[in-house]
Amino acid sequence: MKFQIPIGPQHPALKEPISLRMTVEGEVIQDADIRLGYNHRGLEKLAEEKTWIQNIYLTERICGICSHSHATCFVQGAEKLMEIVPPKRGLYIRYLVSELERVHSHLLWLGVAGHEAGFDSFFMYTWRDREIVMDLLELISGNRVHYAMNTLGGVRRDIDEGQKAKILEGVAALRKRSEYYFHIGANEPSFVARIAGVGLLTKEQAVSLCAVGPTARASGITRDVRKDDPCAVYDEMDFEVGTADSCDVLGRVVVRVKELLESYKIIEQILHKLSPGDIVVKAPRKAKPNEVVSRYEAPRGENMHYIKSNGTDKPERLKVRAPTLANYPATVAMLKSGFIADIPLIFAAIDPCICCAERTVSLVNARNGEETTVRLSDLRRRAIEQHKNAPPKRNAVWPF
Amino acid sequence: MTDIEIIERLKRDLGPEALEVTNPDRRRIFLKVDPGDLVAAVTLLRDKYDCAYLATISGLDKGETFEILYHFASPAANINVRTEVPKASPHIDSITAVIPGAILYERELQDMFGLVVDRIPDPRPLVVPDDWPAGNFPLRKDWKFERPPEIIPGGKS
Repeated sequence: MKFQIPIGPQHPALKEPISLRMTVEGEVIQDADIRLGYNHRGLEKLAEEKTWIQNIYLTERICGICSHSHATCFVQGAEKLMEIVPPKRGLYIRYLVSELERVHSHLLWLGVAGHEAGFDSFFMYTWRDREIVMDLLELISGNRVHYAMNTLGGVRRDIDEGQKAKILEGVAALRKRSEYYFHIGANEPSFVARIAGVGLLTKEQAVSLCAVGPTARASGITRDVRKDDPCAVYDEMDFEVGTADSCDVLGRVVVRVKELLESYKIIEQILHKLSPGDIVVKAPRKAKPNEVVSRYEAPRGENMHYIKSNGTDKPERLKVRAPTLANYPATVAMLKSGFIADIPLIFAAIDPCICCAERTVSLVNARNGEETTVRLSDLRRRAIEQHKNAPPKRNAVWPF
Repeated sequence: MTDIEIIERLKRDLGPEALEVTNPDRRRIFLKVDPGDLVAAVTLLRDKYDCAYLATISGLDKGETFEILYHFASPAANINVRTEVPKASPHIDSITAVIPGAILYERELQDMFGLVVDRIPDPRPLVVPDDWPAGNFPLRKDWKFERPPEIIPGGKS
């Protein structure tokens, strides 16, 4: 017997409005359908009516967690169109903020993953440590969320020696903490058992469904714009692309912890290379008719802006592709043939509490409405019968 | 593989199907094909150029025509396939048979530009609301947003 369970668009556990319609048989998800658009703001249309400078602040407001990513992606493209090259120091500061943002985003995600897996001390630890990097971002830019560091031709704020020392100090503390999380993850059997084998996405599926970011890298695809298409300063940096082959939620945790450690390396390299100089060059008001594809590795995956200019001070077209949209088809594949209890983990932001509502001893036959009361032992026997063909859950294997 | 090598290979493999190949920047290749040759070109890119990853599909209103850009990325380069369809009959073939991950972008294209994607497995609207009036395509250049007059139920008209 199949049921459809709607989750969202408004749901107490949903952080953002999205509608998921799960077709379930017993506790196994047979099919998942996603409906978007509850939060569509018409931003691409709005961008056509704003000037290049106004659009930096508009694109920064696409996302509240990776705000710097969209602004950087837009500015990178707009600078190409205007044929200006920002000074080296400006670029270093821009990508320093990028890496700090990646650190705060990954720490946030780790906490959410721990919370959804029922490991709340992990959540509290990571979010406490996230304050270190949030304070650093506030120290540099004056803001915790919208840093407003980017401008056409460079950045808006310089950093001094005192701030540099504070950042190095903060990064050293964070590295120590991240290594501790590595240790905790490897030695915490209940956490590993909860997340291993959940939300399987094979490498073939990840390739065909065009997954991006840590989702793709956890399925063994080495795809990182910082390595494949290094923009500005990344080709000078020494870092590795963290991947995992376990193709599940455990792999996604591993990839993110590895990326944290790589980000600390990049931050330290940037700070050591920072040489005195200008941070910004003057940008023209208009851009010649041209087109550009700007790619940037945001914390969630590849961010892509296609910008076309028409000779005026406004863009002709701005196409924004955020990484989450690219990962929706993969999410549907992950949810299929999973358990209802794994939806929050797989979808990370959803906690539908369906299992609480489905405790009953009085069974109603859906076909004719007939009500029968059954004994607990009988119910148990029926449940075992029903779940005979459920997908097998893999044993936990920690990939190190 | 450098950009020049990729361009040479593309010209050789596609022959007259490649109407125009440009390389405006390092690792950026723009390729223009006829709408009829699109699926063949995409299949070739996937099989021979390691371009199984479709980053996104951009639509563009150019007055008389719609331009559609398929942004592919391989580790070597970012290959953008461009095609143009007339506004009078905006039909384009679906590439989901070749690239299953293209489905959401094609549905978005239908909502935003009123393009008709032929043979799309799931043509439902993706981002516009359920009660969106038919024939309104927001990203067309001639579409202007007009706020509807507010009606208070049971209130003064």
